[in-house]
Amino acid sequence: MSTFASPKPSSFRRKMNGVWTYISKPQNAILLVLGIILTVTTIFPMVTILQDTVKLHPGSIDTTNSNAADAQFQALGGTYTAYNWTNLLGDTITTRVGRERVTRSVASIYLITPLLNSVLISIFACFGAILYGGIFAYLVTRTNLKFKKYLSSIFIFPYIMPQWTLAVMWQNLFNSNAVTGGNDGLLTSVFGIRMPLWWCQGLFPVSVVLALHYAPFAYILIGGIFRNMDANLEEAATILNTPRWKTFLRVTMPLVKPAILSTILLVFSSAMGSYPIPHYLKLSTLSTQYVGMSSNRAGQASILAVIMMLFGFLILIVNQRTTSGRKNFTTVTGKSGQSSVVNLRAGKYILAVIFLITTLATGILPIILFAIETFLPNPGDYSFLTHGIAGHMTTKWWMTAENVTENGMYGQKGILYNSEIWNAFGGTLIVAVLCALAAGTIGTLIGYCVSKNRRSKWAAYVNNMAFLPYLMPSLAVGVAFFVFGSNVGIYNTFLLLVLARTVKYIPFASRSALNSMMQLSGEIEEAAIIQDIPWWKRMTRIIIPIQKTSIISGFLLPFMTCLRELTLFMLLCGQGKIITTMLGYFDEMGLYAFSSGINLILIVLILVFNTLVNKLTGASLDSGIGGGK
Amino acid sequence: MKKILAFALALVLVLSACSFATAEESVADVIAQAQTMTLEELFKKAIEESNGKDFYAVGNSSRGKSALPLFVEALQQIDPSYTLNWDWQQPKENKIFDQLTEDVNGANHVMSMTLIQDGNQIQSKMLDTGVLLNFVPKDWTEAEGLARENNEYPLALQTLNKVFMFNNLGEATFTNMWDFVAEGQAPLFMGVNSELVGKNFLYMMTNEKYANLAKEAYEAWAGKNADDDALIEDMKQDAAELGLTAENANYGLAWVYLWCEKYNEMTDDGPICNTLVTTSAVDQSGLLVYSKLRSVEETAESSVNNVTVAAYQDDYTGIGGYAYKHYLMLTKSSPLPWTACAIIAFMTTTQDGFKAWGKDMGGYAPVPACMQDHSKDGYVDGVNTFDAKNDRGYDWWLNDGKLVVEDPAYCASVSGTMSDWIDGIVSSK
Repeated sequence: MSTFASPKPSSFRRKMNGVWTYISKPQNAILLVLGIILTVTTIFPMVTILQDTVKLHPGSIDTTNSNAADAQFQALGGTYTAYNWTNLLGDTITTRVGRERVTRSVASIYLITPLLNSVLISIFACFGAILYGGIFAYLVTRTNLKFKKYLSSIFIFPYIMPQWTLAVMWQNLFNSNAVTGGNDGLLTSVFGIRMPLWWCQGLFPVSVVLALHYAPFAYILIGGIFRNMDANLEEAATILNTPRWKTFLRVTMPLVKPAILSTILLVFSSAMGSYPIPHYLKLSTLSTQYVGMSSNRAGQASILAVIMMLFGFLILIVNQRTTSGRKNFTTVTGKSGQSSVVNLRAGKYILAVIFLITTLATGILPIILFAIETFLPNPGDYSFLTHGIAGHMTTKWWMTAENVTENGMYGQKGILYNSEIWNAFGGTLIVAVLCALAAGTIGTLIGYCVSKNRRSKWAAYVNNMAFLPYLMPSLAVGVAFFVFGSNVGIYNTFLLLVLARTVKYIPFASRSALNSMMQLSGEIEEAAIIQDIPWWKRMTRIIIPIQKTSIISGFLLPFMTCLRELTLFMLLCGQGKIITTMLGYFDEMGLYAFSSGINLILIVLILVFNTLVNKLTGASLDSGIGGGK
Repeated sequence: MKKILAFALALVLVLSACSFATAEESVADVIAQAQTMTLEELFKKAIEESNGKDFYAVGNSSRGKSALPLFVEALQQIDPSYTLNWDWQQPKENKIFDQLTEDVNGANHVMSMTLIQDGNQIQSKMLDTGVLLNFVPKDWTEAEGLARENNEYPLALQTLNKVFMFNNLGEATFTNMWDFVAEGQAPLFMGVNSELVGKNFLYMMTNEKYANLAKEAYEAWAGKNADDDALIEDMKQDAAELGLTAENANYGLAWVYLWCEKYNEMTDDGPICNTLVTTSAVDQSGLLVYSKLRSVEETAESSVNNVTVAAYQDDYTGIGGYAYKHYLMLTKSSPLPWTACAIIAFMTTTQDGFKAWGKDMGGYAPVPACMQDHSKDGYVDGVNTFDAKNDRGYDWWLNDGKLVVEDPAYCASVSGTMSDWIDGIVSSK
């Protein structure tokens, strides 16, 4: 009897077999590809901007002032210098303060104050947003507050609107000739009330406006937990005679803690990267300083962007240390049998009235003022109100069909006839749709694949890489993609806008998908695998239909936020490319009628889409990231 | 295999270097030829070169969008089949310089020409580096009454003025340039780092000509006190440290210091104008683009008659504002250089070409034939109703209005040191 020894495969072949086995699983292959793509799209722009800090910029001080000390850098080709770092962090200049000659460090002028302000507004914005949004979330989800449905819809309006619109409204309401210079705002001209300077400009109004803008974010995240929280825990505490305040602090709060931390992480970076609000309300921050320095100190402006990025990394580390992302978001969407409702008694009316007033001020009043502004003869000219002359209203901002310079039109046609405005709207819709599709699809795939590889380090890496850009301040990401886009010749193209936006907002979809996929039992898909159903069919026939609400939320949020994004886009394209850059242009020019009209159209558009998607799928903005219904 | 790959890479590098050198020569060569041609000859060259093609330009002024269709119409009169798919971009936040640099230095050259402002950055980032090339049309050099000085290199499309104005409903008087920086004033002005031509104006104040004007005005100023005298004296040291050579640079520098310390930053000239014309802006002043007055609609709260143009007062002393320019140039790698030359010639030598800008007061083309008359823009039914809107013209503003005119070379020479000095003052307000 002869025996046949099967040939032993070579080590290379065994390795190849291992690789083939690994990538033959769709989730592994997708993770591999997405990991590489995300590494390139996330890391490469960051490396580019880091490189920009040591490059020579013609016409910038690094060219005019760098010297032989840079010989070691110049040996690299004569185009590199350490001057931007050494000058910003170590040099001094002589200037004047209060007529006195003083020597100041360069850092104190260009870095320290803006950095301090950026950190402060981020902290205050987090605090304000969590306090206002968190209380509102609790009242809406866990109490018998009146007018919940109405309040819930209105509360998210400031998040829907471009963030600087509240800042412009703040100016128009509170500025006064006697305090801020210029003309009187509405409060002064109608009621004679003059607010102090700290109220009108600087740290306070910037923090308040940012907090109001991001409070809906806190409401969405914290509300998601409150809505789905298992009431059995609280009920157990009640049965054990625990005082209500103690139950709240010891039971409810720990459950909400992950959502609060998530809110802090997301709001902090968003607030830090905000450009328009500090710009309008006159506060020097890293973002405003970046724009101001980009002509004469281009390399040092990139250092500011790098610092903003470091905050992003820091936040990611904090996120990893304090709470695992999965645990956090599993809590958010954990299904609950029931939740208890606290009876506020008379408070349900009192608190409802308070929130009716505050949401009126932050959600409805801006819309009313936007609408009125489009009928004023000159920007901010309320003659019809202060002098009671109805004839001092006009439809010219909407109806002018000719290209005229007279009467404040600045050569623009009325909104209804203005092809530039509608083209920009078209551009925005293109970018928003493509971003939603790209971010939604990639995010969903990441969510799916990570949930299938929970213990894999590569999966964790891909997940973090997808989340990192969201933790980066928008301006820093914009700067990175500007440098990247300029280098590869795609500046001012839709491609660059879609790329930047997709990378920035994949987390909306990935987190949403991950949360929902984690709830999905593996047995469902395994049953299909046993039946030899192909992967794409399992996805389209089983996984996606089951989790469609969460997945659609992952598409909806990038789409909605894309419609009103400015900070990320302002460096990436010309002002007529998309509607928010055009809106920003009109606001800067003081053509508030145009910007108000565009704002109105934007809000209506978002509400229509939100309602439409809500009716069709059950997903909506105020049901939150990964929330669904 | 490796050798083949290395050879192929080397070949690609050499070929791309050659093609770039050829492109560079060809644009410079086209310009040299184009400068000897009439407008009509340039039109014919443009038709040959760009019929049915894509043309890209980038500009600080959006009005190029209004001028290009007129250019296409003009060419269609010669060849009715002529078409041009044009795209006029307007970058935000000072990115025009980066965009042009990347376009010229990158592999994909798209931009053919630019309309650009800020002489300081143009000098240091565009001309010194060779990113932009200057073209002077033959018809322009031969135009009657041409204002050639300061307008030829780089070629200026127009000079724009920003002038001192004040709300006249109160008691405050502004009859001297130093009144705007007197104690208690907070003139409205765009931030020096948001619109850099404003910073150029401040650099120019230390130039000999304008420093002398500052000195003359200071000596005539009734509002000065001992503190101001001390400041003027003290500024000698700053001027020396900043490397300023003008004899009276300390006067210019003192004015710049006071201006930076006091101005109230606004996002644009539009809001400044809308503010100044209101009844509530009593005694407020500002430095803004003159043409903004055209945009005011008369109401009970707002009127052009609520403001006075400072330099139009008979007893006014000192500078009346400043002037900056819009320049037209080709990129070094212009894909359609003949068309770009034809457009530049069209814009700078014909009334149709300049029409998009010429309809506004406060903007002056070097060729008088391009201009429209705005000396009676304030007349309504033959009656002088809004005197502030009657533009007194380029010559008046330069000589009597004493506008500070931007000199790119001077700005570039002092910006390295003065920029920090100014930022130090502004950041400590």
